Amino acid sequence: MTTQDPLTTTDLGQRFLDGSLSDEALQRASASSPDYAILPWVNVIKIGGQSIMDRGRAAVGPLVDEIAANLKRHKMILGTGAGTRARHIYSLAIDLGLPTGAMTVLATAVAWQNAQMLHYLLAKYGIPFIEPEGFNAIPHYLIERGGVICQGMPPYKLWEPNPVSGRIPPQRTDTGCFLIAEVFGARKMIFVKDEDGLHTADPKKDPAAKHIARISVDELLEQDLDDLIVERDVLGLLKRARNIKEIQFVNGLKPGQLTAALEGEPVGTIIYRGDAA
Amino acid sequence: MSAHHVPSPLMRESLVDKNLIAGTESPVRAILPNLNVIQIGGLSIMDRGKTALLPLLDEIVANQAKHQQVIGVGSGIRSRHILSVGLDLGLPTGALATLTAKDAAQNAYMVSCLLAQHGFVYLEAPFIVQLLPAMLAAARGAVFNGIPPYALWEHPPAVGKLPPNGSDAGSYLIGEAFGARKIILLKDVDGLYTADPKTNPDATFIPDISAADLIAMHLPTLPIEPVVLELLMRAKLAHSINIVNGLVPGNLTRALEGEPVGSVIHR
Repeated sequence: MTTQDPLTTTDLGQRFLDGSLSDEALQRASASSPDYAILPWVNVIKIGGQSIMDRGRAAVGPLVDEIAANLKRHKMILGTGAGTRARHIYSLAIDLGLPTGAMTVLATAVAWQNAQMLHYLLAKYGIPFIEPEGFNAIPHYLIERGGVICQGMPPYKLWEPNPVSGRIPPQRTDTGCFLIAEVFGARKMIFVKDEDGLHTADPKKDPAAKHIARISVDELLEQDLDDLIVERDVLGLLKRARNIKEIQFVNGLKPGQLTAALEGEPVGTIIYRGDAA
Repeated sequence: MSAHHVPSPLMRESLVDKNLIAGTESPVRAILPNLNVIQIGGLSIMDRGKTALLPLLDEIVANQAKHQQVIGVGSGIRSRHILSVGLDLGLPTGALATLTAKDAAQNAYMVSCLLAQHGFVYLEAPFIVQLLPAMLAAARGAVFNGIPPYALWEHPPAVGKLPPNGSDAGSYLIGEAFGARKIILLKDVDGLYTADPKTNPDATFIPDISAADLIAMHLPTLPIEPVVLELLMRAKLAHSINIVNGLVPGNLTRALEGEPVGSVIHR
C-alpha cells in the first residue's frame, strides 16, 4: 500500500515541511482547505446574564419552558452569560490591580453559576451541564436528549488577552458561544437578550429609536457606535468566520421569539457577514 | 420583571460601551514579579533532539538557584503533519488547535522528564492557574504546554485556517498574566532579521524594535507568531520579549542576567 500522507503528497504539505507557520504564503495556502461542518444541525443559543438570568423566574421560567418545548425539534447548545455578579467582581478586581487573566478566571465562575442554575431547571429533561473539558461528549447528549448546557465563557482563563482599551476582559460569553458555533459549523447562532435586537439608538432612552432587522457586520462597524448589542470581538470574528454566516439577536422576554428564530424566521436582528449576503 | 443587581461601579452598565470601557483604565499588579518565562521552540529546538536540547537544559539547571524559571514548550514537525492531515480533511481552526496542542504537550512532558531530578514539574493549564506559585516555592521550576488552552475556542485567523495562537502567544500571555520579569523565546536563529538569514545573505540583524514598527515593516516571515506583536501592543506588565538563539551556549544565561543578546521587541 502506497502512502497517501498529505504532508508528503500535497502541495500544502510540502509548504509545511519547507516554511514557517507564520509565513503569509503558507497561511494563504491553508485557505484552500474545505470546510467540514462537525455538527451542522446544532443551534448555539446564548442566554444573557444581566439581560435574562439576573431577572430570575419571571424571565427564566418562560424561556426554560420554551427551550423544553423545542428539544424534540431543534438540537441546542445553551451557553450562559455572566451578569451583575461579574460586574461586581470586575470592579473589585480592578480596584485590587489584578491582571486580565485573573479577572477572566473570576468571571468564568459567574457564567458557570448561571449555567449550573439553568442546568438545575432543565435537568428533568435529561439536559447535562458540560464543562469545556467534556465537550467531546456533546454529540452524544445532543442526539439522545436534544440539548446541553455550557458556561458561555471561552476557557482562556489566565491566557485571556488584554483589551485594547481599559481593563474589562474583551472576550467574554458572547465570544465563547460564537466560537462554539463557528468550530462546530452550527446551523444557527442565536443570542437571547432583553431587547428586540438592534436599534438606531438605545430604545430604553430614546423613543425615536428605530429597529434594525438586518445589517451587515461591515455596515455596523462603519457606524462606529459607542455601544453595541454584542461584544465587539464577535464582530471581528464574524468577519473572519468560515462557517457562520450570520448571528441573530432575539428578545427572550417575549415568548415565542426564540422558537421563531429556531424555525428560521427573521425575528429580532440579524447581523450577517458581507461576503455571505 | 426587573433584574436583581449587585451594587458595584459597573452595575447595570453595558460592558460593550466604549466610554465605559475606557473609564476602567487602571494600574495592574504583578502577581509573580520574579518569574522568568522561557519558551523552548518546537521545530527550532525540540525536534533537533539531544544535541540541541540537553545543553540548554543544563543551562536552565545552572540558573535554577538564581532565577525562578517556568518553561513553556512549543510543538514542531508533528504539528505540521497533523495540520496537513486536518486541513486535508477540512477540519475547522478550533479543531486543529485541539490537535496541535497535544504535540506541544508531548514536548513539554519530555522536557519535564529530563528536568524532573532537579525538581521541575509538568503543569497542565488548570494547574498553572491554581498551583504555579506553590510549585515554584516547592520545586523552583515548572514546565508547561506553550500552546494556550483555547482548544475549540481558538480564533479563526485573518487569513487561511491555521490556529494563530501557538506556543509563543501562550508563553507571552503567561508572562503578562503573572507580570513576569522576563519572557525569553529560545529559537534557532540569533533573533530578528530584515529577511530570512537562512536563505538571504543580505538579511540585516534587528537588535531592538517596537512591536508597532515591526508590524509596519510587513516582513513576510517572522521567527515568532505575528499575534504576539498585537498582544505586546496591549501589554500592561510584560512590555518586551527577548528572542534568543538557544543553540548558542550561554545565550540564555546572558538573557536572564539582562545582558543584550538576541533581539528585543518592546511595546
